Amino acid sequence: MNEFFIPAVGSQAGPLLPYLIVAAGGLLVMLVDSFVKTLKKDHLSYLTLFVLLGAILVQITRVPQDGPVLGGMMLIGAYARFFNFLFLGVGVMTTIFATGGFDRDGLYRPEFYPLLLFSILGMMVLAAANDLLTVFLGIETMSLSVYVLAGGVHGNVRSSEAGFKYLVLGGFSSAFLLMGMALLYGFAGGTGFADLTAALRGDSPDITLLTLGSGLVLVGMGFKVAMVPFHMWTPDVYEGAPSYITGFMATAVKAAGFAILVRFVLLLQPQTAFAWYPVLTALTVITMTLGNLVALAQSNIKRMLAWSSIAHAGYLLLGVVTMISPAAGDSEMMLRSSEIGGSAGSAILFYLIAYTLMNLAAFGIINILGKGRGEDGEEIHRYAGLYHRNPVAAATLTVALLSLAGIPPMVGFMGKFYLFSAVVRAGLIPLAIIGVVNSLISVYYYLRVMVMMYMKDEEEDTYSGTEWVSVVTSGMLALLVIYLGIQPNAFQRAAEVIFRQITF
Amino acid sequence: MEITLSHYLLLAGAVFTTGMVGFVIRRNAIVMLMCVELMLSSTNIVFAAFSRFHGNADGHVFVLMNFAVAAAEAAIGLAILVEIFRRRRTVNVDDFKTLME
Repeated sequence: MNEFFIPAVGSQAGPLLPYLIVAAGGLLVMLVDSFVKTLKKDHLSYLTLFVLLGAILVQITRVPQDGPVLGGMMLIGAYARFFNFLFLGVGVMTTIFATGGFDRDGLYRPEFYPLLLFSILGMMVLAAANDLLTVFLGIETMSLSVYVLAGGVHGNVRSSEAGFKYLVLGGFSSAFLLMGMALLYGFAGGTGFADLTAALRGDSPDITLLTLGSGLVLVGMGFKVAMVPFHMWTPDVYEGAPSYITGFMATAVKAAGFAILVRFVLLLQPQTAFAWYPVLTALTVITMTLGNLVALAQSNIKRMLAWSSIAHAGYLLLGVVTMISPAAGDSEMMLRSSEIGGSAGSAILFYLIAYTLMNLAAFGIINILGKGRGEDGEEIHRYAGLYHRNPVAAATLTVALLSLAGIPPMVGFMGKFYLFSAVVRAGLIPLAIIGVVNSLISVYYYLRVMVMMYMKDEEEDTYSGTEWVSVVTSGMLALLVIYLGIQPNAFQRAAEVIFRQITF
Repeated sequence: MEITLSHYLLLAGAVFTTGMVGFVIRRNAIVMLMCVELMLSSTNIVFAAFSRFHGNADGHVFVLMNFAVAAAEAAIGLAILVEIFRRRRTVNVDDFKTLME
């Protein structure tokens, strides 16, 4: 046992280093919080930033050693590294926003920092998962931490209710996920992705078990990315959780869901994805349309962005559907090398980055408006005249919302452009038309906030925010949104290379 | 009568369905949490049965991990519920409506 394990882990410590840093960092932050009595309020946030930046630095500077680690449980590669950067970057931003939020609220949550690190660890494991067990553990490590982050604001009953709702429905969906994995294990005789591939290529795969199992797993993953009809939790949880957590959930958690969803549907190509392909297509259309239509009627900006995040999940699912469409090829190898599969897959990765940047910028601003004590900048009518009180915050929010609406030259436009052109290239013209109509509808509700900020006179009780660190951070994200919107090519090509390197 | 794989799967299906129906029709938050636990546990039967059927240990490993995850989930759920109960003096989910549209 020892002879087997110790050398095995020892020689693999290199590729696993970012994961180990985040895990050890989480424990360290927790211990420091418990035992160091002379701690000032900001110290934990510096320590957390140090851990996250350290992990990013290791990720950049190390010579990549790609391949399976831990006996094939995890697979390190360009795809996993891409998502690690995304998650760690969102973690850095969330730490900055949260620390600003604590100052304004007069409410300090030291447990936030370790929980953030642990949920990021779960996401990183998820993106590198190469075994159903790692998928399950990654999803649960991420989710259990996020339940507490969303629901753990002491004495705030809205946050507690949001957390409870998220936990109960999340547990419900985990049960489906797990049952699906159990059936897939029954199908393949092993839990590794390699076992699944081997069984799929076998002589007479048991189609009943496979279809049922993969359907249940898709339900569980659909919940994490807020696919209709598994979206019911999204508006309530996004509204009830503190804004810095909402921003984290809307970006990192959703990206993690898509990280595994993309790999999972690629893995099951062609046998089962086709069985679920019509269903997935129908749900994609409903997800986009319902998200945008309900967002029109919201008066709370966090609820509005929750419904808009459902709509954006619909756009991303459009990419997933295109990636596995019959036109893209009928085997998993062909899929990744084919032009349609490659352009759809890289469009998903590009859109995830775009969506993360613009959503984080928006939530960074929302987080610092309002009076604190659980009240964030929520009511849209109270944004009236924000431009006159805080032009930088108003401009940042404007860039973020314009980008979410998909207006050039923002990165949101380029993301939608790549996605829809992949859809057209696959010959799914009706889907592309529905997507474009949907993004036209969405312009209305994003513009409403902008009209409030610039054209309405100030009323009583309007918002003003002065937490400069958060404003500057959000502003930098907004600049990145514009920059990537003007110069998307290099990044798009990188996304394509990363997508083509997915292996199992 | 010989007990075969399909008997175990039927049993697991029955337990899973019980949990699912209970989750949907009951309004008591603690009972809903218990129903989720029931659903999670029913998958353990499937894993154990297939593990025996295939003659490898992958399923057993999954069961052990699932115990830990289910316990953590219950602990977090009850902790949040206690926090809500202190404020509201009820565990009926129909009364949790601060966040309704």
